Amino acid sequence: MENNTTIKERIAAIEPSAVWSDAGDGMFKVPAASFRHLAEHLRNEEGFDFLRSLTGVDEGEEGLGCIYHLENTATGENTVISALDPDRENASLPSVHDLWKGAGFNEREAYDFFGIKFIGHPDLRRLYLRDDWKGYPLRKDYDMSLNPLNMQNEEANDDSPSYVMTKDGSYILKRHPLFEDQEYVINIGPQHPATHGVLRFRVSLEGEIIKKLDVHCGYIHRGIEKLCETMTYPQTLGFTDRLDYLGAMQNRHALCMCIEKAMGLEVSDRIKYIRTIMDELQRIDSHLLFIACLSQDMGALEVFFLGFRDREKVLDILEQTTGGRLIQAYNRIGGVQADIHPDFVKKVKEFIKYMRPKLQEYHDIFTGNVIVQHRLIGTGVLSREDAISFGATGGTGRASGWACDVRKRHPYAMYDKVDFKEIVLEKGDCFDRYMVRVKEIEESLNIIEQLIDNIPEGEYLIKTKPVIKLPEGSWYSAVEGSRGEFGVYLESRGDKSPYRLKFRSTGLPLVSCIDTISRGAKIADLIAIGGTLDYVVPDIDR
Amino acid sequence: MSNYIKGLFHGIGSLLTGMKVTWKEYFTKKITEQYPENRATLKMNERFCGELSLVRGENGDYKCIACGICQMNCPNNSIHITSETVEDPETGKKKKKLVKYEYDLGSCMFCHLCVNSCPHGAIEFTTKFEHAVFTRSKLVKTLNKE
Amino acid sequence: MFDFGIWTSWIHSQLTAVMPEGLAIFLECVAIGICLLLLYVIIAIIMIYMERKVCAAFQCRLGPTRVGPWGSVQVFCDVFKMLTKEIITIRHSDKFLYNLAPYLVILASVMAFACIPVSRGLEILDFNVGVLFFMAASSIGVVGILLAGWSSNNKFSLIGAMRSGAQMISYELSIGLSILTIIVLTDTMQFSEIVMRQADGWFIFKGHIPAVIAFIIYLIAGNAEVNRGPFDLPEAESELTAGYHTEYSGMHFGLFYVAEFVNLFIVSSIAATIFLGGWMPLHIPGLDGFNAVMDAIPGFIWFFAKAFFVVWLLMWIKWTFPRLRIDQILTLEWKYLVPIGLVNLLLMVVVVVFKLHF
Repeated sequence: MENNTTIKERIAAIEPSAVWSDAGDGMFKVPAASFRHLAEHLRNEEGFDFLRSLTGVDEGEEGLGCIYHLENTATGENTVISALDPDRENASLPSVHDLWKGAGFNEREAYDFFGIKFIGHPDLRRLYLRDDWKGYPLRKDYDMSLNPLNMQNEEANDDSPSYVMTKDGSYILKRHPLFEDQEYVINIGPQHPATHGVLRFRVSLEGEIIKKLDVHCGYIHRGIEKLCETMTYPQTLGFTDRLDYLGAMQNRHALCMCIEKAMGLEVSDRIKYIRTIMDELQRIDSHLLFIACLSQDMGALEVFFLGFRDREKVLDILEQTTGGRLIQAYNRIGGVQADIHPDFVKKVKEFIKYMRPKLQEYHDIFTGNVIVQHRLIGTGVLSREDAISFGATGGTGRASGWACDVRKRHPYAMYDKVDFKEIVLEKGDCFDRYMVRVKEIEESLNIIEQLIDNIPEGEYLIKTKPVIKLPEGSWYSAVEGSRGEFGVYLESRGDKSPYRLKFRSTGLPLVSCIDTISRGAKIADLIAIGGTLDYVVPDIDR
Repeated sequence: MSNYIKGLFHGIGSLLTGMKVTWKEYFTKKITEQYPENRATLKMNERFCGELSLVRGENGDYKCIACGICQMNCPNNSIHITSETVEDPETGKKKKKLVKYEYDLGSCMFCHLCVNSCPHGAIEFTTKFEHAVFTRSKLVKTLNKE
Repeated sequence: MFDFGIWTSWIHSQLTAVMPEGLAIFLECVAIGICLLLLYVIIAIIMIYMERKVCAAFQCRLGPTRVGPWGSVQVFCDVFKMLTKEIITIRHSDKFLYNLAPYLVILASVMAFACIPVSRGLEILDFNVGVLFFMAASSIGVVGILLAGWSSNNKFSLIGAMRSGAQMISYELSIGLSILTIIVLTDTMQFSEIVMRQADGWFIFKGHIPAVIAFIIYLIAGNAEVNRGPFDLPEAESELTAGYHTEYSGMHFGLFYVAEFVNLFIVSSIAATIFLGGWMPLHIPGLDGFNAVMDAIPGFIWFFAKAFFVVWLLMWIKWTFPRLRIDQILTLEWKYLVPIGLVNLLLMVVVVVFKLHF
């Protein structure tokens, strides 16, 4: 990470027990006992208000723990803290869900995969796996035979456990019911037209008004991070396309960038240009689908078809070069799969010319429509503080007035060379979330327009060794995915496959803030909120 | 009151704008692809990844030498190569020969690793896309059938 | 204009010649009932086909093309498929009400359907308070929908039913007000009379401004009354999966489906009858030659053309706009349509009293 010299000294002053370790990007290692003190200080005094990523790790002898990627949104400073508990049997860490709301779901994930008990977490259920799952799968000593294929239905657990610290330093398990007996709870999902995939909400209603909402993830959990630990680096690339399938290019870009960074490989300008253009095409594709699906959720099927019609043009361009439509498998370590198609430049230019007037059509039929405005303006307001605290990046964060675009914060590829506006709106309601995306289509068109004529000559692929081994260390790199910061945390032990590979999901922060912003709204608003948050379920569940 | 009336007319205006768009769309050319009917004219992009196939060399034989690198690189074990060792009658050298190249389309994720890693350019993706079958076992294809 | 009354009275006289009058009337009722149901089904099939084609055209698609020329046999296939599907009974549902509900909906729909004057002499239920009867009969449908939602023991269904209860009962008011506006102009509530009075010009022209406003209010309210977009809240598929008929399958679902489409036709044909002259051809006073040409076109063609034009209009609206939220639907009704309707009624009274109409 950049600009770490001063923060290094400050952290050393705050917490003398923190040790700087230099492998890869470098990080501070803090004992579990003093982690909470450091975290509080960083959050409250130093202004590290954005928890970029929380990664559970199993460091073998050193114990189990988490790696926290923190950012100060005011100054742009970054730091990485690792807290490990050597007690493998009863690993516990203090919860930081009260400092960063986004930690709530991430800690549940770490508990789910590593069995780390987060003391003070109010709702430490498993996030992805079944409640009756035995063992913790991402631990290195996990026994696969514990969980044969389970043919029984899952019993829904209606109380949430939490570990509370007692005075003598031990902790006790408490259970709270999720819903009261008399509450009118309806089940939206996992199979429901408006959840955009297999996501399940349990909604407590009072008439049509939502009192409480509980998100259930994991219906499409494929254990991608676990799988990656057994794969070689080129093989792991295939999974990234299948996370956020509307951000396949960007996801793969992030992983390639991370591996290239670890290898110390600098790619040529031509590759950077191609990757940037592809990322932006993918963003347009995703945002068009966003408009289409939002309007379909709201009952305006006309716009749904218009969106799909225009998206088809993007897909055609992508298909011509990459050979795939949804799953493109285009980026590779050290370059891209194939050079751009001879017609690519012409087609892209035609598309830009086609798309600009079409946007006006969306404004005519959808944006300006009085019904749309009444349904979207003022509903589901996410405040700027909450957006940062939850880590709700992407269009959602920018609609709340948080300039969180990774392309501006940590420029990669060609983004520091092109001139584009970061769309930031103020109100944080559904309408702003919608407008951010529509305007971003225009910005993406601008970016492509600046690059498309100047793609430099050069090679599209830098030859790498057939077997890629990374040095020891850990790296994090992030790109601006279609719906927020998509980060890759890679830890290597010098092998040909990663020791730990974590994908910072763009959608998980988005669903974790649904409960907060939909309380007091109506069911119809929940649909609009879900639509405008624009999450993609495979990306949440991984 | 004036807000009420202004809002009313603004609302009606916006609705009419929307209806104007749909009116236009009503008469524009439809975009439906009539798929089985347009089979003859349907042309896939040449890079489209439909399925894996073996490439034949100039003499009409498969280029594949059964080295097994693609099988090793496949993340899903979609490729199974059976080979036998034969002795070249002229030189007397032992050489691997391809017996059966099995490819499971059902578990292929089109990651290109096999094609990329093949040292002889012996496999490639073709654009055939009509893969619908009734059982999964039919998706396991033997690529070197003569 | 050809009067079908000649045919019907001839049949009646033939029948009474060979049998007692009671039996003749009974036989006529049976025959008419069969004709009515047949017409009902035909209209439903035409409507479903039209919906598919029109919505496809709005959405840059072709719609059904596979079965039959231009996909015209598609709907028949779907009906047969529906008939062969299992009717699933739900555990813990109120079985009797659950099975009754679709028939209540279809009953209300058929009863309202019988009120429509298709051509001169081709009206089944035609008496001096026909409009009143029509409104009473059509509002039975909401009972069926409420029962369906209540009895199927599903939370989505219940919310859908409650929504439709609130919505349909509210919008009944606006329908009433807009029809009342025209009744002020016609001073009759008999459908055949209403049509006859439009011989010298349709009411939408005769009543000019208040009639046009009433027509628009009627279209909006009628659309809401039949639960169609943008007022399809009770069955909003992205919120409540299918609303009140979530748990219905097979032909029970089919009945709801058919009733919805025929209700749309009924609303449109009533609009055509009251505002656009029903089967009455377009007459322009003073142009006798033109009027004679118009008269050559049979009345039922005029009627169906007008009705389907209104249907098309409503489809255009449905496939353009997003759905409203429940509170917005009620706001629209109580803060906009009802006050405007009341003022419009007053305006019409002024117009009639001072003879400002044509």
